[in-house]
Amino acid sequence: MNDQPPLLEVRGLSVRIRGAARNLVDEVSLELNAGETLCVVGESGCGKSLTALALMGLLSDPPLQLMGGKALFRGQNLLSLKRHNLQQMRGDQVAMIFQEPMTSLNPSLRIGEQIAETVRRHRGVSTADARARALEMLERVRIPAAGARLDAYPHELSGGMRQRAMIAMALANDPAVLIADEPTTALDVTIQAQILELMRGLLAETGAALILITHDLGVVAEMADRVAVMYAGRIVEVGAARAIFEDPQHPYTIGLMSSMPSFGDSGARLVTIPGVVPSATAMPPGCRFAPRCPFVEDACGAQPAAKAVGSDHMVACVRAPLGVAA
Amino acid sequence: MTEGVILETRGLGRAFTGRKPLLGPATVVQAVKDVDLEVRRGETLAIVGESGCGKSTLARVLVRLLAPTVGTVFYEGRDIAKLGGAELRSLRRELQFIFQDPFSSLNPRMTVGALIGEPLKVHGLGNAAARRAKVARLLTRVGLRTGDAARYPHEFSGGQRQRIGIARALASGPKVLVGDEPVSALDVSIQAQVVNILQDLKAEFGLTLIIIAHDLAVIRHMADRVAVMYLGQVVELAPVADLFANPRHPYTEALIASIPLPVVGGRRAQVPLAGDLPDPTDPPKGCRFHTRCPYAIGRCARQVPKLADPWATHQVACHRTDELALTGLTTVAVGRSPEAVARFEMYRAAAAERAGSTGLEISTEE
Repeated sequence: MNDQPPLLEVRGLSVRIRGAARNLVDEVSLELNAGETLCVVGESGCGKSLTALALMGLLSDPPLQLMGGKALFRGQNLLSLKRHNLQQMRGDQVAMIFQEPMTSLNPSLRIGEQIAETVRRHRGVSTADARARALEMLERVRIPAAGARLDAYPHELSGGMRQRAMIAMALANDPAVLIADEPTTALDVTIQAQILELMRGLLAETGAALILITHDLGVVAEMADRVAVMYAGRIVEVGAARAIFEDPQHPYTIGLMSSMPSFGDSGARLVTIPGVVPSATAMPPGCRFAPRCPFVEDACGAQPAAKAVGSDHMVACVRAPLGVAA
Repeated sequence: MTEGVILETRGLGRAFTGRKPLLGPATVVQAVKDVDLEVRRGETLAIVGESGCGKSTLARVLVRLLAPTVGTVFYEGRDIAKLGGAELRSLRRELQFIFQDPFSSLNPRMTVGALIGEPLKVHGLGNAAARRAKVARLLTRVGLRTGDAARYPHEFSGGQRQRIGIARALASGPKVLVGDEPVSALDVSIQAQVVNILQDLKAEFGLTLIIIAHDLAVIRHMADRVAVMYLGQVVELAPVADLFANPRHPYTEALIASIPLPVVGGRRAQVPLAGDLPDPTDPPKGCRFHTRCPYAIGRCARQVPKLADPWATHQVACHRTDELALTGLTTVAVGRSPEAVARFEMYRAAAAERAGSTGLEISTEE
């Protein structure tokens, strides 16, 4: 690990539904270094999207409530910013790409206007300059006939093109941090390959750091420098991508990787994780994976502390480092 | 009909016509066009393609949930469009469908027991007591509890609802099960449970499975043969191992190259396919793939390629297939240390033992 302080440092982020007994996002701590891609991976309901929304100040409160934590970015705590300062930050230094561009773009505004709006909002430039920037961005995300597409409405674009337009909008003000929530999940596999390639190119060009939220371990392997695995609101394992894929230590990470159909052995039975993800209202005490864990023991009744098992590799499991029993 | 073929299509096509605008003709989408397909008894045939390629329409036409606009579907040698009365009812019993979305395909006002018992009731199979017993057996078979019969769909998770859908499809004793993206709405750990159940049931009941899917990893795992569709047409059909190792259609090559592999450093050098899917109301002339095909030549824009030799085991509709050397799946092994490999093995053993003791996962042994 380098000695530079992280660009974004999240400490103890917790979110719950008002009145609920337990947190939906529980004591999440993350570090994002300048220029790196951190993938947050987990199944539905693991809290990965809520974490992103909390960082952007986009939790809908009520019913959701920020219970605590800090997100330090350039000396400021994103979680305690006043509304005005948050709006200054959002879309400028920190920007977000959502899963479904059809619902996150304004259907009644032309693409060019929507991109120009974010530029004018943060840069205070003229309408003509903002439009020129919008055109430049559409060209950079390689939308064909970008000049004509400036005046297109979102419904006139294909899913892949809409996602390109979303990326153009997010990058229009050269953010230092980009948060992308399942940006390719709604896309077909050939289009997904195009968008991932585009994002890699743009990140290298702009030096922006990316928090990429996904459930797809294939996407993680292609994009991540570092990986955080979430389960039921907690980070269970975090580290360098190679460490997570080649030397996973948490039983959930191992189970998740095992249950993917591999391209190697066709027809064999898939390994599974028994049971289901706990619901928001029935989070187990102690280790939240314990009810499904094949290695569960008495000590799992208490919440496990994160242990270092490598230079950039932390695991929250009492059994870590997980060795083979003799 | 060829020996061993259970379901067969000849020149099958299905078009959808939009509402006629004030001026000009109505738009027509040829969702399925010129499909000749044979499904063999006892096999798992996967139909793969991207959204809008017509795979779901084809699945629905195969079981007569939709009527074809042209062509014929033969089930055990009989034209299913001509069946009526008792024969149609028996077709309905023998061809069953599993839907993608277990949230919208189960009536929320019916109990699970009523949902699974409905096909039995409709087909007059057994009296009330016999039906209850059968429902209980089916529930256990898909890994649910017999007591779940009294509960409602909203009380279950997505994976459990898909099990209910499977139990319901199995109730009437089908010979062919058609699954339209049966596991794509599920998380990967739950998906693995449902894939295992489908494979177990297929073996137990001697089912023929037709799986519609876009996830190539699931297909590689489950299928015996794969049909690749693009804009309404089957462009390649081959045994699964052959298709992944030696794709012969450029679109298949691109699909395979687009799969993100869960291996760090396994990233491909370049994007396999440029451009978007063309507008299905106005598909390209000639080969429908030529606008995106990196190997297209003049002829591809003019002449429609046919699936060469319908009796061959590996069929492909491409003018240039014999001159192209296409790349299949290159599996890069994850570089795991012996300790990490042992850890995975330990997980596999422990998970299997646990599943056996809690009944959360159905067992393979009968």
